[in-house]
This record gives sequence, C-alpha cells and structure tokens, in this order.
Amino acid sequence: MNAFDIRFSEESDLSVLQSWFSTPGATENFPFGEEEKDDALKNWIGFSKYKASLTGVIGDVPCAVGTLFLMPYRKVAHHCSFYLFVDAQHRRKGIGTSMVRNLLHLAKTRFRLESVHVELFLPSTLLSIVQKLHFHEFARQDNYVHEDGRIRTRLLLEHFFA
Amino acid sequence: MITFRPAQESDQKYLIEWLLQPGVLDGFPLTDLREIEDAARIWMGFSKIGSVLMAEKDGVPCGTAVLYIQPYKKLAHQCLLAIILDEKLRGHGIGTKLMTELMTLAKTKFHIELLHLEVYEHNRAIHLYERMGFQKYGFQKHFVKDQGRYIGKILMQRTL
Repeated sequence: MNAFDIRFSEESDLSVLQSWFSTPGATENFPFGEEEKDDALKNWIGFSKYKASLTGVIGDVPCAVGTLFLMPYRKVAHHCSFYLFVDAQHRRKGIGTSMVRNLLHLAKTRFRLESVHVELFLPSTLLSIVQKLHFHEFARQDNYVHEDGRIRTRLLLEHFFA
Repeated sequence: MITFRPAQESDQKYLIEWLLQPGVLDGFPLTDLREIEDAARIWMGFSKIGSVLMAEKDGVPCGTAVLYIQPYKKLAHQCLLAIILDEKLRGHGIGTKLMTELMTLAKTKFHIELLHLEVYEHNRAIHLYERMGFQKYGFQKHFVKDQGRYIGKILMQRTL
C-alpha cells in the first residue's frame, strides 16, 4: 500500500481541486458556492506561488490540499487563515489532522507567523481536528450562512505558536 | 448642512487624504501609501454597485462609508462595513448620520439582514457603534502588530 506523503502544491493541482469540487455538496463548508467556485479555486491555488500550499498524496495521487491564505498588509502579516479539503474517499484516516499539523509547521517555520486562524461553518468535521490542535474560539456569529433554507453559525478559531 | 450622495471611484482621493491624516492609520491595518492606495481602490471599487456613500458638509466631502457586499450568494444577506470621517469634522454627529444612512442603504437596496464591523480595542468609535445597536461577538487579540505592539480587533454586529 502506498504511504501518505505531503509536497508543496503546484498550480497544476487546480485540476484536482476542480475535480473534487465537481461533487455535489463539496462547497458546503466554504464561503463560495457552486456558481462561484471557479474563481475561488483559482485564487486558492494561487497561493502555491508563495509555497504557502501543501498537497497530500498517496503514491503520486493527491488526496488533500491545504493552503495558508497569507495576509497582504504588513501590520497583519504575522497571522493568516487556511483552507483545507480532503478527498471524500480518504476521510477519517487522519489525513486532515496531518495536513493541519503540517500547515501549522509551514506557517511557523517558513513564514515566521505567530498565529493561524480558521473559519468554520457549523456543523463542521474540521472542528474536532482544530480543537485537538489547540485552536481556540475567538468569535461566534449566528445566522452567518444561508444556503438552501439552511442557516449556519460561523466560528472563528485561532492557534497561537508558543 | 450635511448631505449624502453615492460615491464615485474618483472620490478615492478624499479617502486617501483622510487615511493619511495623523493617527488615522492606528485604526486601520495599513502602513504605507501602497497599502493605503490598494485599500482605497477596493473600498471605492464598491461604488460601481452603489454600496459606498459620501457625506458632504456644505457640499464639501467630509466622510465615507462602505458596505463590502459579499460576492458569494450564501453570504449575501450579511456584510461588513467600514467608515471614515475627515479628522477635522469629528465630534459633530456626522458619523452617526452617515451610519444611519448606510444602514438604510444596506436594508433597502441590498436586503442586508446582518451588518458587522471590525474595530480595534481602545478606538473611541466603539461607543458610536454601541449607540447604533452593534454588539460584540468576538475579539481577536494580537490582530495588529505595529512596531512590536499588539492591538486586538473587536468584532461587532447588529441585525437590521
């Protein structure tokens, strides 16, 4: 069996993201929807230019993409948020946890960041992972997402490097 | 007399001028002219959809406020706002009037149900926002790092 590994993302990983997001419901944990995903995914993978994006692979086949969204202004450049998507076929195997751990390591060592935050819409499968990795809630906003009659709460959580 | 009109992209020069007034950048995450011009371009870019207001005193621009209308449909019922006044005209109630006008615009034109804003701790504008019905829903400590000093960001919201 091929082992799980992580490499820097490449712009060509856009096609992998596009493929995963062609599945119905794939956008439900992200701010963008079906009609808006094309531009959003291009923007997402654009951070690979700065080596701020990681792709999880099994063998040579991508199974996850996690990306640090670096901040554009100097006074706030000491922190950032991230996105993560794990291929539905490879969930519940610890890949999400490994990806977040490696994103934190990248943030701390390569970009010298002091904290990383994440936006989640409840319910979220990512919540237990980030709580395990010592992210702490700093904002909760009810009624934030309206989609197909479903109303969801937004949580913002942050991890500080010691 | 205070009047309001929709902003135009050419109003960017006033916004840049106000951002460059002494002490104003303490309330914004911006450092230099390049960042100020970038932020002002984005702010006034929303004038294309009519979500930026200019306040004028006797015909002279003295403040502006923006609704950052969400590009995503599932978030379109709520948005972030920002406001700035010419430093020389603060304390005359113009901020309250501009906020009131912006909230009316948000509700009537854009059907916004939830309005939110971000303000740094110790900023006097917090009292204005509280008076206008905004309530705190979060606090991000260490949001700004300016010359080694950290400043927290208070997140506030109100329903319309």
